[in-house]
Amino acid sequence: MLLSRRDAIRGLTFTFGVAATGFAGRALAAAPALAWTPTALTPDQARLVDVVAELIIPKTDTPGARDAGVPQFVDRALADYYNKAQADRLRAGLARMDADARAAHGDVFVTLTPKQQTELLNGYDREASAMQGQASDDDHFFPLLEDLVTVGYFTSEPGATVALRYDPVPGAYHGCVPLAELGRGWATR
Amino acid sequence: MNGFAEVGVALRGSGRDSIKGAKRGADMANLNGRARQKNTYDAIVVGSGITGGWAAKELTQKGLKTLVLERGPMVRHLEDYPTATMDPWQTKYPRGQLPPDELNAHYPVQKRTGYTLTEYTRHFFVRDDQNPYTEESRYDWIRGYHVGGRSLTWGRQSYRHSPIDFEANAREGIGVDWPIRYEDLAPWYDHVERFIGVSGQAEGLPQLPDGQYQPPMEMNCVEKAFKAKSEARFPERRITMGRTAHLTDPTEEQLALGRTKCQYRNMCIRGCPFGGYYSSNSGGLVAAERTGNLVIRPGSIVTSLIYDEKAGKATGVRILDATTRQEEEFYADVVFLCASAFNSAWIMMNSTSSRFPNGFGNGSDQLGRNVMDHHLGVGASGEAPEFADMYYSGRRPNGIYVPRFRNLGDAATKRDDYLRGFGYQGGASRPGWDRDLTRPDRETSAPRGFGAARKAALSQPGPWVMGLGGFGEILPYEDNRITLNRDKTDEFGLPTLTMNVTIRENELAMRRDMQTAAAEMLEAAGFRNVRGYDGGYAPGLGIHEMGTARMGRDPKTSVLNAHNQVHECKNVYVTDGAAMTSASCVNPSLTYMALTARAADHAVQARKRGDL
Repeated sequence: MLLSRRDAIRGLTFTFGVAATGFAGRALAAAPALAWTPTALTPDQARLVDVVAELIIPKTDTPGARDAGVPQFVDRALADYYNKAQADRLRAGLARMDADARAAHGDVFVTLTPKQQTELLNGYDREASAMQGQASDDDHFFPLLEDLVTVGYFTSEPGATVALRYDPVPGAYHGCVPLAELGRGWATR
Repeated sequence: MNGFAEVGVALRGSGRDSIKGAKRGADMANLNGRARQKNTYDAIVVGSGITGGWAAKELTQKGLKTLVLERGPMVRHLEDYPTATMDPWQTKYPRGQLPPDELNAHYPVQKRTGYTLTEYTRHFFVRDDQNPYTEESRYDWIRGYHVGGRSLTWGRQSYRHSPIDFEANAREGIGVDWPIRYEDLAPWYDHVERFIGVSGQAEGLPQLPDGQYQPPMEMNCVEKAFKAKSEARFPERRITMGRTAHLTDPTEEQLALGRTKCQYRNMCIRGCPFGGYYSSNSGGLVAAERTGNLVIRPGSIVTSLIYDEKAGKATGVRILDATTRQEEEFYADVVFLCASAFNSAWIMMNSTSSRFPNGFGNGSDQLGRNVMDHHLGVGASGEAPEFADMYYSGRRPNGIYVPRFRNLGDAATKRDDYLRGFGYQGGASRPGWDRDLTRPDRETSAPRGFGAARKAALSQPGPWVMGLGGFGEILPYEDNRITLNRDKTDEFGLPTLTMNVTIRENELAMRRDMQTAAAEMLEAAGFRNVRGYDGGYAPGLGIHEMGTARMGRDPKTSVLNAHNQVHECKNVYVTDGAAMTSASCVNPSLTYMALTARAADHAVQARKRGDL
């Protein structure tokens, strides 16, 4: 399914090659330069994680993954937390995203338009969900990456205190409070 | 880790009683009378956890100069809770979970609960690679070696054993009869509850006696509705607020110790900077230290009891200093073993002599046998049909409780398929942002999506979920035992334990009922998608090991008497989980503390009379 869609996209790219390159150039220009130095990721991988993390948790009325330092969080997890199998899977996933982007659009993922990037991620999300419940359940890189971005975001200070509510010392328990008064979910339980 | 070097320091580190460990390394041959005197106390308490803290408090308050020997490092209240106020974004690792490689290399057992061992709590749990044992059958031995022991990390649920718990063995011909009855322990439950502070609701149920309670915590809307609807259908299944060792209305005595009200942070397992829940570190040891009669010596691995054949009693204990690796002896009129069920038994098994060739006080051959725990990991959950517009504030470190409602002695509650019973612990909550993370049991195969819509959804609480998890009684089986393995030694060259413990037909039949009855209650209360579960259970997972030196009336069939004295050596008391003759289905720590306070009172009186 993904292949045929990718073929279709590739056809579009071929037909409207000039226009697509123009979009890609603008997307690349829009991706800010890294303001931090990765340790486990290469600079190219870090730029890719930066873009994908922001697609997974974009800035809305609350900060997005980039503002919350999630790309750095992913880099730290690769350096300190993941075992080799997990790290390999994540790096292979990053490599695959660029390979798929090249195959479909002739350039690496970060150069694609947001629409093209979203299309690719949708494909990965569908692939992963189709594998859910099978023995190879956690073999797909996308849930691994999405979990890490999600954890990184909602445990960050902006994620916990702005996107969610955080109270380090509640002082009391009230068992029946209108959700409207609180507005958002609690960051910790 | 601090502590190992700080031998013999007072708990708050005044240094008043400090003795330099490096200078010790006592050459035993040169141990003269003065040195012996220096190492002599009225009482020795082995272990500083929930029972060691109580023994220390009671003995020192009753005037005995008391030495507490703790194998691990010092943990001072407030000072040594390094993670207590960490925010989620301050962890080194995602969600504070330890890296898989580290868990596998150092914590293959401690990681088995799935919830206790994290970056926040690692310093309160042992490294398994440094503390080996042998599993002839799987045994999850979850433990921490430091001052305070598991009183820092316990679940804090505090229930009394009931009259039927103390009578059950005799009535059913199981194991041996308890040498005491509920009435013997009731005043000591009162005494313990008043000191530690237990919040809870009196219910007037014979199978779950009421105690001295501070105001109960609050149920949330879903729990209140569940209680009303389930009790209407099953009136015998009372639903009450969990009784927990948290202060909701502290007494003058508790405030004077520096403790204050529970702040509903639910970070208890990291150590509480408010002293909101009871631990040895914030309670018993502080009270003991204030008497001026306490010396606590961390880094002291008690290896055996010293038995004087002529006098027919114990004269003290031998230790191995964890830092210097030197042996040393300490002497006292009375010794309290409070090292945890398995380690107190280990010390006794390792204390052989011509009088006790098979282990200290083990003429009955019951030492190390009758291992019990509570079996759990079975119950039901469901989604609440209402209250989508309601939420809660604060993190309540407690849930609801359903006291035992099976086999209460009448025909209506009698089960033909098993003996004894179980209670449920549970509660309702709304899952948070982590609810869609990948996990093996995730059921939906719909793509979970990404982007602004998912972010907005996860920023709101998920649908209310209510769960009930059973805690079931395990019968005492003689062949559920731990034994001493002299062929496999630890890093100190000390023998290790071998575990051989399984659950049997009675427990398995009970588990089926635990699942069915929980689902019935949720269905009766109108919950949706009610699902029973049995996630399996391995002995030890309840972290309630007990029974390895049981109390009884007959020295031929039990290790301890009615006052927790070793039948065969009256100046040694064992008051931790080892003493338990049966398990009940309630969390055991409150009973351990009550037994300890009662035994300490007995020891002080007996010593005065010259009976030790």
